[in-house]
Amino acid sequence: MINHQLALVKREIWEHRSIYMTPAVIASIVTLGVLAMLAFASGFAAELDVAIFGAQNLAGEPERKAVLTGFFLGTSWVFLVALMILTVFYSLDSLYAERKDKSILFWRSLPITDAETVISKLLTAIFVLPIATVAGIIVTHLINLIVLSVWVSMKGGDGGMLVWGSVALLDNWLAAFIIVVASGIWMSPFIGWFLLVSAYTKRSPLLMAFMPLIVIGLLEGIVLRSHVFAENVLGRGDGIPLFRKANIEQFFEDEQWRIGENATSLLTHIDVVQFVTTPATWAGIVVCGLLCTGAIYVRRFRDES
Amino acid sequence: MASLVSARGVTKRFGSFTAVDNVSFEIEAGKILGLIGPNGAGKTTLLKAMLGLTDCEGELSVMGLDPFRQRKQLMQNICFIADVAVLPRWIKVSQLLDYVEAIHPNFSRKRVEELLRQTKIKSGSKVKELSKGMVTQLHLSIIMSINAKLLVLDEPTLGLDIIFRKEFYANLLNDYFDEERTILVTTHQVEEIENLLTDVMFINDGRILLNSPMDALAERYMEIAASGEKADRARGLGPIAEGQMFGKSVMLFEGISREHLEGLGEIRTPSVADIFVAKVKGARK
Repeated sequence: MINHQLALVKREIWEHRSIYMTPAVIASIVTLGVLAMLAFASGFAAELDVAIFGAQNLAGEPERKAVLTGFFLGTSWVFLVALMILTVFYSLDSLYAERKDKSILFWRSLPITDAETVISKLLTAIFVLPIATVAGIIVTHLINLIVLSVWVSMKGGDGGMLVWGSVALLDNWLAAFIIVVASGIWMSPFIGWFLLVSAYTKRSPLLMAFMPLIVIGLLEGIVLRSHVFAENVLGRGDGIPLFRKANIEQFFEDEQWRIGENATSLLTHIDVVQFVTTPATWAGIVVCGLLCTGAIYVRRFRDES
Repeated sequence: MASLVSARGVTKRFGSFTAVDNVSFEIEAGKILGLIGPNGAGKTTLLKAMLGLTDCEGELSVMGLDPFRQRKQLMQNICFIADVAVLPRWIKVSQLLDYVEAIHPNFSRKRVEELLRQTKIKSGSKVKELSKGMVTQLHLSIIMSINAKLLVLDEPTLGLDIIFRKEFYANLLNDYFDEERTILVTTHQVEEIENLLTDVMFINDGRILLNSPMDALAERYMEIAASGEKADRARGLGPIAEGQMFGKSVMLFEGISREHLEGLGEIRTPSVADIFVAKVKGARK
């Protein structure tokens, strides 16, 4: 069973090269951006060069930490947005492409159940994509910290201390990992819905996935003059109970994350117990399970001839 | 001999349309059975029911298993080629072999690599880079490397040229078939495979028109070419089909002994295709 899942997940990675290509492309773009920025900064006077990272007398400890933490969060944010888009497209394509190219007949000629197949796609969406994203984040941070420390050293600063000493690398990577996996679990009802649409629709999975959600939200607003669906389903992403501050937007607006005792550690703002004990987390998992069962049922009973 | 496949009153409906209509048959191990039928006859639906890809009414057992409910176990001992185009185009040959090796307990990597060495297929190539014939070779090589009891081929050579078609069946017979294995094949090009078959089954409008060993066909079906008064006498014996060729009436008989036909004209063994056409036309009358 586990060997089958490994083989199935490996197959997903072979088929959907965007799982690793997207983080690789973002890592390259960020690195090129940083190199371009440093080259641009190097063109100015020497005092500007050192002002950015190089000298403690020009940039104070908290400010430098804030700049580097900002760089960390900024680059991670780009990866997270890409992960969100990737997850939508991956989930919608995963059970649709195999029907479109008729390869489903080959896959189903092997001793694998439809449930195993759908579970492998769910695991890919919830765990493999986030892991690839976190790997991308880590590689990007490492490369760019090396580049920055070399640059600072070349300008006469202490690159090791000024750059590497300013950031809580492991804390932030672990935080990034928890955030992406928890977000996947929290948004799993949507992933389940996308898999069901992917298994069911004959055309335009993107349209077929979003149209009903939008129409239901609009109809509820117009007919019932309420926004229960819009707030609880469409707005689910805002309410992830993972941060000590209830609202993620509020969290980022809060100055505390930038300068202060916990300035460089995102981990201290994360509350995994709160996430696991919130009923809405489990309700989402149940809904995801039901929708995936629907996807398995459709794949099994649908006649593809 | 034990039945590998046993069907009793198998029926499959799509809404008001009945694709397979109360079909019963047995397939014994060690046979090469040709399932012959026109488009829409229900042969693919019947195959799908046997492969557990679609549910059906009636009793259907393949190797003692319920195909629909025990599909995973069944697939360990069945291989099928549904159509030449079904291998995923994005996959590399080496990845495909890795995947089948990880999934299939009866797959031999050594065997498939031996078979592929005899072709021009490179392990680093993607399926989309291969010609249609090479894709079929690849698929057949994989299938032949799986130690399965039943091989189901649904129009396996569709769209291939004559050289590949001949090679395909030659490989199948020489490298795969033995008395332990059973092959079920559907094709439009019945004349190409009739020499390979041990048994034949005709299906039309979801019903079985004929289910017979090949050697019994020659005893049961005869064709004569007659003219004039002899043709009238032959016609009196009730041919199931009649046509004209070179000024003679060519009549096909079912279940008439050779003694009755002797002296009426030149007696021949009809081709499977001729019997098939006669049976289908007869069923439509």
